[in-house]
Amino acid sequence: MNNLLKIASVAALMGATVSASADYPARDITNAVVWGAGGGTDVCNRTIMAEMSEVLGVNVNVVNKTGGVAGSIGMNFVKDQPGDGYTLVGLSESNVTSAVQGGFDARFTDVWHPFIVGGSPDVISVTPGSGFDSFKALVDAAVGKPGEIKACASGAGSIHHLNLLAVEDGTGAKFQFVPYKGSAPCQNAALSGEMTVVVTSVAEQAQLIKGGKLVPLAVLVPEAFDIDGHGTIPSAFDGYPDLADVLPIMQAIGFAVKNDAPDEVKQVLGDAFEKAMASDALQAFGASNYYVLSGKHGEDAKDVFNALESQFAWKLFELGAAKFSPEKFGIPKP
Amino acid sequence: MEIVAIVVERIAEFGVVLVSLLSVKNVLVLFGATILGIVFGALPGLTATLGVALLTTLTYGIDHDTAFIALLSIYVGAVYGGSYSAILLNIPGTAAAATAVDGYPLALKGEGGRALGMTTTASLVGTVFGLLCLVLIAPMIIDLALAFTTFEKFWLAMFGIVISGTLTSRDLVYKGWIAGLIGLWLSTIGQEQLQTFPRYTQDLPALQGGIDIVPVLIGAFGIPQIIKALGRKLEGARDIALKRVLPELKTIGRNLHHILRSSSIGVFIGSIPGIGEDIAGWVSYGVARNTSRHPETFGTGEVEAVVSTECANNACIGGALIPLLTLGIPGSPPAAMLLGALMLHNVTPGPMIEFENPGFILGFTAILLLAAFAMWVSGMLLARQVVKVLRVPPALFMPVIGVLCVIGSYSLGLQLVNLYLMVVVGIAAYFLSEMEYPIAPLVIGVILGPMADENLRRGLMVSGGDVGEIFTRPWCIGLLVVIGLTIASQVPVLKRWRRKAWRRFAPESRDAGMEE
Repeated sequence: MNNLLKIASVAALMGATVSASADYPARDITNAVVWGAGGGTDVCNRTIMAEMSEVLGVNVNVVNKTGGVAGSIGMNFVKDQPGDGYTLVGLSESNVTSAVQGGFDARFTDVWHPFIVGGSPDVISVTPGSGFDSFKALVDAAVGKPGEIKACASGAGSIHHLNLLAVEDGTGAKFQFVPYKGSAPCQNAALSGEMTVVVTSVAEQAQLIKGGKLVPLAVLVPEAFDIDGHGTIPSAFDGYPDLADVLPIMQAIGFAVKNDAPDEVKQVLGDAFEKAMASDALQAFGASNYYVLSGKHGEDAKDVFNALESQFAWKLFELGAAKFSPEKFGIPKP
Repeated sequence: MEIVAIVVERIAEFGVVLVSLLSVKNVLVLFGATILGIVFGALPGLTATLGVALLTTLTYGIDHDTAFIALLSIYVGAVYGGSYSAILLNIPGTAAAATAVDGYPLALKGEGGRALGMTTTASLVGTVFGLLCLVLIAPMIIDLALAFTTFEKFWLAMFGIVISGTLTSRDLVYKGWIAGLIGLWLSTIGQEQLQTFPRYTQDLPALQGGIDIVPVLIGAFGIPQIIKALGRKLEGARDIALKRVLPELKTIGRNLHHILRSSSIGVFIGSIPGIGEDIAGWVSYGVARNTSRHPETFGTGEVEAVVSTECANNACIGGALIPLLTLGIPGSPPAAMLLGALMLHNVTPGPMIEFENPGFILGFTAILLLAAFAMWVSGMLLARQVVKVLRVPPALFMPVIGVLCVIGSYSLGLQLVNLYLMVVVGIAAYFLSEMEYPIAPLVIGVILGPMADENLRRGLMVSGGDVGEIFTRPWCIGLLVVIGLTIASQVPVLKRWRRKAWRRFAPESRDAGMEE
């Protein structure tokens, strides 16, 4: 009798699990974004999730779980949830540093099955009053007076900080780096005259560039970038070929589900993601936000994140900003 | 004459936009979102930021006008709603802690309904004042706000902590400052943001991200109140003298200078990026008391104080929208959420907003005006009913509040550690308040601590380690003098001297003077 009951309950449980993944999604999904509300990752996630929820037929609630080391609070939160596809994590390229900074105890792609919406290239800009009219003029000044020109980017180890470091590596310039809590405070510091140089993404700066509040000197990707209403921003690579060794370090904004989620769940999410990427709303979002849209997911996206992880982790380790050696996690050198 | 014609034309244009927004659907959304916002503001743990975030996703597929009506209504409603629980229960649901200082004593006197009526009208005036500043003098305000850089923000945070400590101490003023410093210390727990160095984390992952504000807020204000009420140490607020909730125009008229001054403070503080409603409320309270002819009645249920804080709170909304719409930089946490919502609707705020979205600012301000009036109407209707909760005996009522506190603390991050934090802080706060330590400065310390800490250290990075700049920048000197005066005004000798000097030099003068 007792055994019968056990068998029956196990069978019932198994039945429940099977039907749970076959019916996925049967209830609302939560997407925990590890970066702040209103930021690039947040807005991107809210846009893609709104489109995906139409395809999936359930709501996707986007919440922000910020803080920790490189988004470790939010990532660990989602990691501790069951891998049933009902809790996603909204993240970006900058989260790959969490492991070597002591916030996350695994390699990025060992835990996550990522989906990449895209990203906006980084641009190095100065205040209108600074007098610099070209990237070369800025570099020459920073080489001549090392460590005197004030440059800001969001927190140490962020993508914009790494881009700034790469500029220093590739050109021999040296800036006085001051970290701020995100790109908006950085740009605010530049507008108030506290900072001279600011490195954030084109998307984040576009309004200020068009309004003449910031002067863009160069984009930190190989190709020049057009902003309608302003003109073309040249590439920093022109004249500094060494930059090609250390750049580009491009944004990869998107979300992820845990690797141990059932294949059906990944399949359903992947299909919904592809449909959402093709939607008019997302294409319009990409264009108006100066994104280069990606649409990679699964193994393709893992390759992108593995490369970013190598770049980020080893750079931080060289800087002494990493708590652990990338070797501890088996992260290969770039 | 030409200017008059332009002004008339603009007002006509504004009227057309306003009327075009008033469809049945929009009016329903307007009131629905406003009342939801008031509930969010009144419930401990639910904040304006959370309310705006909730509606951001819900309004994604809706047309622009209706979506922005929902978002601005919930924002205005939530900032206003904090005054309900602050006045009636002494448990501020939002950062409206400054309103509780005098609002709760008013409720104890049986004047809760009157206080709510006053705050409702004050909130309306504050919101509309903020809106006018947004429309008329945004460029001037933005220049002033940009003068506030790293070091100034540090001093402003310190000022907030010092002044809340000074204003809330019943017996000895240094007890308030001690409470503020405890809060400041609590805020340093966790990995600091500039160099990610762990402080007081004891290697516990739960402490890595630092202390969440909401469980501290709920624990510190809610738990002692519940313990006291259930231990019968506290006569709950009564609802005996609910004469009228409707605005007393005479009282409003008498307080006009408070209203104007507090609204200006609210707009200015709101326009400084990264500084929110709470500091506006405290600064405005401090200025109201310092310029009053009878500062000794503050803290015992002074209508002036309640009006001042609520005006400033709501004027902050217009202020926070100024850098948001002109530079794309949000002035406060809910405004940051609003930025996300705007971008979801493919509107990127910034210097080019009028160029890329012609007529956007006009429509946006029209919606804000509608939201302000919807808040007033809902507030007037609700206040009369809400006061009735005071008729419920504490033995029934307080356990409900206890459950709400638990839900509020847990719901934000869904982390069990926040419940432990709420209980620990709550019990500590109970013993502190038994020893006559004020609780508000502790919470303000936790809220403003990171701002003080990071900006001081970041400022030293900017100045290349030069300590002198902290004391020599013009705004820094101003703030330093104000902080010094605030502290000095509490030294007994100076207090006596000030009273004497006041009597000699200004025997008949009114307390209207001094703007800001």
